[in-house]
Amino acid sequence: MILRLAFRNIVGNGYRSLINVLILAIVLIIMVWMQAMYHSWTRLALIQQTDWEYGKGLLRSKLYDPYDSYTWEDSAVREPEQLKSAIQGGDLVPILISPASIYPKGRMMPAVLRGIPHDQDVLRLPVSGLKAQGKDIIPVLIGQNMAQSSRLEKGDIFSIRIKDSSGVFNALDAEVSDVIHIPAASADMSSVWLDLEALREVKASESLVTYFVMGDARYADHEYENFRHIPKSEYFADFYEMLATERVQQAITYALLIFLAMIAVFDTQALAVFKRRKEIGTLASLGLTKGKISLLFTLEGIHYLLFAAIAGAILGFPLFWYFAQYGFQIPKGYEDFGIQGFTEPIYFVYPMGEIIGLFLLVLCFTALFSWLPTRKITKLSPVDALRGKVD
Amino acid sequence: MKESIVKIRNMGKAFPTGEGDFWALQNINLDFERGEFSGIVGPSGSGKTTLLNIIGSLDKPSLGDVEVLGQKIQTLNQKKSSILRAKHIGFIFQTYNLLPVYNVYENVEFPLLLLKMDAAKRERMVKDAIEWVGLTDKIKSRPNQLSGGQCQRVAIARAMVKKPDLVLADEPTANLDSENSYKILDTMLKLSEDLGTTFIFSTHDQKVISYLKRIIKLTDGEVSSDDTQTGV
Ligand SMILES: Nc1ncnc2c1ncn2[C@@H]1O[C@H](COP(=O)(O)OP(=O)(O)O)[C@@H](O)[C@H]1O
Ligand SMILES: [Mg+2]
Repeated sequence: MILRLAFRNIVGNGYRSLINVLILAIVLIIMVWMQAMYHSWTRLALIQQTDWEYGKGLLRSKLYDPYDSYTWEDSAVREPEQLKSAIQGGDLVPILISPASIYPKGRMMPAVLRGIPHDQDVLRLPVSGLKAQGKDIIPVLIGQNMAQSSRLEKGDIFSIRIKDSSGVFNALDAEVSDVIHIPAASADMSSVWLDLEALREVKASESLVTYFVMGDARYADHEYENFRHIPKSEYFADFYEMLATERVQQAITYALLIFLAMIAVFDTQALAVFKRRKEIGTLASLGLTKGKISLLFTLEGIHYLLFAAIAGAILGFPLFWYFAQYGFQIPKGYEDFGIQGFTEPIYFVYPMGEIIGLFLLVLCFTALFSWLPTRKITKLSPVDALRGKVD
Repeated sequence: MKESIVKIRNMGKAFPTGEGDFWALQNINLDFERGEFSGIVGPSGSGKTTLLNIIGSLDKPSLGDVEVLGQKIQTLNQKKSSILRAKHIGFIFQTYNLLPVYNVYENVEFPLLLLKMDAAKRERMVKDAIEWVGLTDKIKSRPNQLSGGQCQRVAIARAMVKKPDLVLADEPTANLDSENSYKILDTMLKLSEDLGTTFIFSTHDQKVISYLKRIIKLTDGEVSSDDTQTGV
């Protein structure tokens, strides 16, 4: 009965209700959009990082510290005997890392050579072009980032100077067989990808490897003398940390949006309690308790949100659909922060659980802010209410 | 002997003001019997509304005893007084006080929704009440589509639909022209006679006074006369 009256009051209130509904609907749309954006971006970044670098897991040389380039030169160790067959079978992709100097267009710059088998299929890196064509010039792949910083283009030939395992400097010529888009920034920046065998040859270091990318997670379960399994939690630690900071920002934005919406709700409710004193008195005279009258007004406030949810779904649908269909292209400039997954459009995936959670959160706030002004009703005597008396 | 449904003993009502308490009602001793068609008459500010509000359990006396249908108003809590009003008392106001978002039917139905009863019975009672006041053809109209007289008739139907023991009508004709005033007075008198409902009016309108069987004059918060008229 009270629910019906609340509903009718909201509908009967016409355009004044509409404004509240619209404000709440816009807040809901923005929140859903943001939540989907963060969710989809995280998801995309994780997928790309996995596809391009992590595979099903890493087995890393215990000497290798990705944050300390001085360790890189000497961190490579021999492939363990026990893994030979897995390597042969393609389940483990050995990667050898070596610092080097490159000379693009006569300039000198430091780079990291990454040797990878030209027939691996665990990472998405298109390695088939790395196969030596019998020439003395070694084909290499670089990412767009590296291409930009080195000003190398497809077909360019440049020389590389590298220390071999006995400390002697060797030089070799390389040709950029392709410039590719590598969504995982760490696999792009300063990196020159070449065939593992070619790299081993110039380093005079047969069977050396810095880390393995696993094509099968079962290799994580064993102990290896010189290698350590890097679990996802460790590998993605930085990423998760960045997400945590993003979450804080996101929470602040949500808090602001909810705050704005709640101002509107609170204001409407306070005004309603003030303007509808006579109605409050009449309802009391008809035998409604103050609790029920408060409930009526609170339910009216909650109705705004329910209508807003419907309006938001209708108004937001084309927007939501567009971003799911065509993706969201992060404006240029953000890549400079080294943020992953920002170079290609993010196709929105809508995390229903999170969205429902957010909605419930807004619902709680709406209920609270609808109810707060109605506490006045409890203090109001029905007689004063009927007189329309203002204190 | 007739049954007394309202008993007021040595009742006073004070409102706090800037300069101490203001006694709006003093030394009130009154009884109202079932089926009475009576009115409290007096100039504006004499305390009529205050008295009706106390009888209707919307307000509490500052002094004395008020017993309505066996319940002591001064000791009733908020919930109990709500139940008393919901079940036994109907109010009619000068300004009709209809719910603007509800149509005639829904306004009249509302008090019954507070009482438990099955839908069929409720529908019959609502339709009966609307028929009593002659608004069957306006059943779907909203208050803003009705004239003042029609609104007050809806308010009467709303007050009467639950067949209350007591109806309190606070200056019900003050906003109506004489034709409409007589119409609603006829309706209320007939309902009182048919259903045995006790009516207590507050008024200073001669048209109303001419219908009253008992006139209680209130002067500055005190009863100055209490006359039962015969042959009205
Ligand atoms: N809540 C209140 N606070 C202070 N004074 C009040 C209050 N309600 C009524 N009064 C005073 O009590 C007196 C009686 O008022 P009321 O019962 O409304 O008279 P009536 O209905 O006869 O015009 C008036 O002088 C009025 O100003
Ligand atoms: Mg009055």
